[in-house]
Amino acid sequence: MFRFGIIVCAAFLLYPFFLPDDFYGRMAAEVLLAAIGASAWNILGGYAGQISVGHAVFFGIGAYAPLLIFTKFGLPPIVGVPVGILVSTAVTVVIGLPTFRLTGHYFSMATIAVAELIRLVISNWDYVGAATGLMGPAVARTWLDLSFRSPIPYYYIFLAVLACLLLLTWHLQRSRMGYYWRAIRAGERPARSLGVPVVRYKLYALLLSAGFTSVAGSLYSLMVGFIDPESGFGILKSVELIIIAALGGAGSLFGPLVGAMILVPLQTMTNSLYGGGGSGLTYIIYGGIIVLLARYEPGGLLDLWHRMMSRRAHRADVAAAKPHAS
Amino acid sequence: MTIIQVIASGLLLGAVYALFSSGLTLIWGMMNFINFAHGEFVLIGMYIAFLVVTYLNGGPLLFVGTAAVLLFGFGIVIYYGLIRHVMRGPILAQILSTFGLALLLRYLAFFIFKADFKTLPDTIFPGTVNIGGIFLGMPQLVAGGVALVITLGIHLLLKRTTIGSQLLAVSEDRQAAMLMGIRPDRMQAIAWGLSAATAGVAGALIATFYYISPTVGESLALTAFVVVAFGGFGSVPGALVAGLLIGVIQSLSAYLLGPIYKDIVVYAMFVALLWIRPTGLFGKAA
Amino acid sequence: MLLRAQNVSRSFGALLALSGASLDVTEGEIVGLIGPNGAGKSTFFNCVAGDLTPTGGNILFNDVDVTRATPEAHAKLGIGRTFQVPATFVELSILENVMVGAFLRHPDRNDARAAALEVIEFTGLKAVASAPARTLGTPGRKRLEIARVLATQPKLLLLDEALAGLTPSEVQDAIALVRRIHAKGITIVIVEHIMEVILTLAQRVLVFNQGVTIATGTPREVVDNTAVIEAYLGRRHARNAGAHAP
Ligand SMILES: Nc1ncnc2c1ncn2[C@@H]1O[C@H](COP(=O)(O)OP(=O)(O)O)[C@@H](O)[C@H]1O
Ligand SMILES: [Mg+2]
Repeated sequence: MFRFGIIVCAAFLLYPFFLPDDFYGRMAAEVLLAAIGASAWNILGGYAGQISVGHAVFFGIGAYAPLLIFTKFGLPPIVGVPVGILVSTAVTVVIGLPTFRLTGHYFSMATIAVAELIRLVISNWDYVGAATGLMGPAVARTWLDLSFRSPIPYYYIFLAVLACLLLLTWHLQRSRMGYYWRAIRAGERPARSLGVPVVRYKLYALLLSAGFTSVAGSLYSLMVGFIDPESGFGILKSVELIIIAALGGAGSLFGPLVGAMILVPLQTMTNSLYGGGGSGLTYIIYGGIIVLLARYEPGGLLDLWHRMMSRRAHRADVAAAKPHAS
Repeated sequence: MTIIQVIASGLLLGAVYALFSSGLTLIWGMMNFINFAHGEFVLIGMYIAFLVVTYLNGGPLLFVGTAAVLLFGFGIVIYYGLIRHVMRGPILAQILSTFGLALLLRYLAFFIFKADFKTLPDTIFPGTVNIGGIFLGMPQLVAGGVALVITLGIHLLLKRTTIGSQLLAVSEDRQAAMLMGIRPDRMQAIAWGLSAATAGVAGALIATFYYISPTVGESLALTAFVVVAFGGFGSVPGALVAGLLIGVIQSLSAYLLGPIYKDIVVYAMFVALLWIRPTGLFGKAA
Repeated sequence: MLLRAQNVSRSFGALLALSGASLDVTEGEIVGLIGPNGAGKSTFFNCVAGDLTPTGGNILFNDVDVTRATPEAHAKLGIGRTFQVPATFVELSILENVMVGAFLRHPDRNDARAAALEVIEFTGLKAVASAPARTLGTPGRKRLEIARVLATQPKLLLLDEALAGLTPSEVQDAIALVRRIHAKGITIVIVEHIMEVILTLAQRVLVFNQGVTIATGTPREVVDNTAVIEAYLGRRHARNAGAHAP
């Protein structure tokens, strides 16, 4: 297991050195970015079991902040990253707390409504560019603008952020926080009877989740250099975060990364196959995958994998126990 | 005078909202389950109307009837094929199931019919009616009237008929209903059929005066959420009152503040409702 | 007085599930709570555990008013409860279930784990500790329910039909477990349908019917009380009482 981990880490670190061209570098950077966003969603949706369908709000805030800081004040966009986190956190406290009084389907429905409201407001608010959105610096003024032609620097920045996020999640997962989250997901009533302050721990999950989703949004607009209401706050953004996490395995550490490694290349492929109109096909595939997942493998691919592995181990045990059986 | 005109057309639109929201609230009341694809069911109803009119030259009775029947069947298929298998599973699977379905249907429509707006010819219900100086479009009037009648019909169906009392028995207490010889699975399938049929009929009616495009389902679904939340979960009369109210509020805010505000105001009211009485929203205790 | 519940009422809409129930529990007691289905026993537990806010009356725990406190505050103060229908965290392992309880007093993971393992040993779940909780049947889940709440180190333990649905030999094991819990100095209020259990465990019994207390006393007194026999135990117990008579 340990050796496997080393090999995977090495593969991620060395991958850019074996690239045929920027196309694959860019796709790899997008995979990591998607994994960051989905891992951030995973803290609230996967571990704590609160299925937010409104995380685009945080992604959008994170994506707008750097470009707004740049267009309005001429500061390097990266200054917007902490601003995005701060605003997301504030939104979390203002909107998250009342929403948390709702549970299950009703919580999800409320998150959609809140996100759509914010998207509509942003689309009609001239200060933030209304429907057109915002642009970043056309050419990098200093390296602080983090505007690179090659995808490789983005790749390493994203890798570093993802590593930090996963390390933090791993640490929390095995501490009291993680146990309380999973208890809340399994049942709020029994969790409370065991002394779990449910609202407080849900809020912790939301704060972390919102903060890192905001970072994912910032990184997105730093790389792309452009943002509009649809790609920042659109409901499809929320859906993307969820499906990536759920495909790999919601509530597992590496689920979102696995999901991203499958879905992002798939999306790139369908888009290039069908050109501009391809996004329709992409979402047909998304929809199909989601339905099939929900119906057959709600635990995601990692869960399926673990079950297959333990079944194989079990068969091996049985075979070893009965050497004369055949 | 204009303001009365606006309120009147808001009421007619609201009646259609009430119709498809009553389908959503029926499912919620029975199974604590929100169908996130409900707006896309409405969308299917709209496209059925479009196809029947365009290719079969069918009249309103034919396309509304076709939408009702096909969607009733579709609802039952969705129940047996998908919902039944996820409804006792993890909450993520429950939510993803209809959410994925919504995406699938929306973008299938996009793939088949492309993004352009389609409309039905305005000869289906031609003209306007003048009621004491208020001018109302014939299509809106028919749609609103029919929607109102059907919504009341569903209410009566639930309250006055055997099938209605069986549906309610399952929603009250599944176990007890089973002991009384009612098959919950079958009743829930019927509820899904009915729910989808309300969406289909509403879609077919809306199509007579509204443009058809793959993304309209999304905002219609949100409207239905808001209606259901205001009307109380599981309550058809509640959906009726809230539907009319939301229709009027939308029309008024579009008229007084500008078209872009019609959704903003409604969603903002919804968020405010979350703030003020989040628990008071439930039709019955959670 | 460890617990002092005075005139506790709770209504659900028009239904008055509990109308003015009172119970005083001194430290070290085992109190039995009996009554027919729907008498309001679980509702009373829910009120005492903070899961439901009473619509009337008040509840003191160690002289602190907890009438309106949250369930988690109750747990923190030392009131633990099991649910009549086990509310197992099925996605977690048995050890993890118990650790959730243990984290209340042991914020550190290793401490919580050690404490949980101790409870698991104590409750006889050691052999299955690492198995997923969903693999347990009802008897196992009832036991896990007890283990989990013990891990929160309660002073007062409310057991809601923790022995229902067990086979006779499992019941004997469970009685022994309750005795061992009591021997640790934990005060217990137990709701149970099986009279034998109440007779062997409880020092004092309270009988509920339709939301009111209709009798209190030693198990013997209660069993011989005609009101109780009529209102709750009916003919079936009248027979049993005959068999017990000298
Ligand atoms: N959450 C609730 N909502 C409505 N009625 C309830 C609720 N909980 C209990 N009741 C009702 O209160 C009465 C007492 O129930 P309960 O306390 O569970 O009785 P017991 O545990 O003694 O069998 C019953 O009539 C029951 O139906
Ligand atoms: Mg009970």
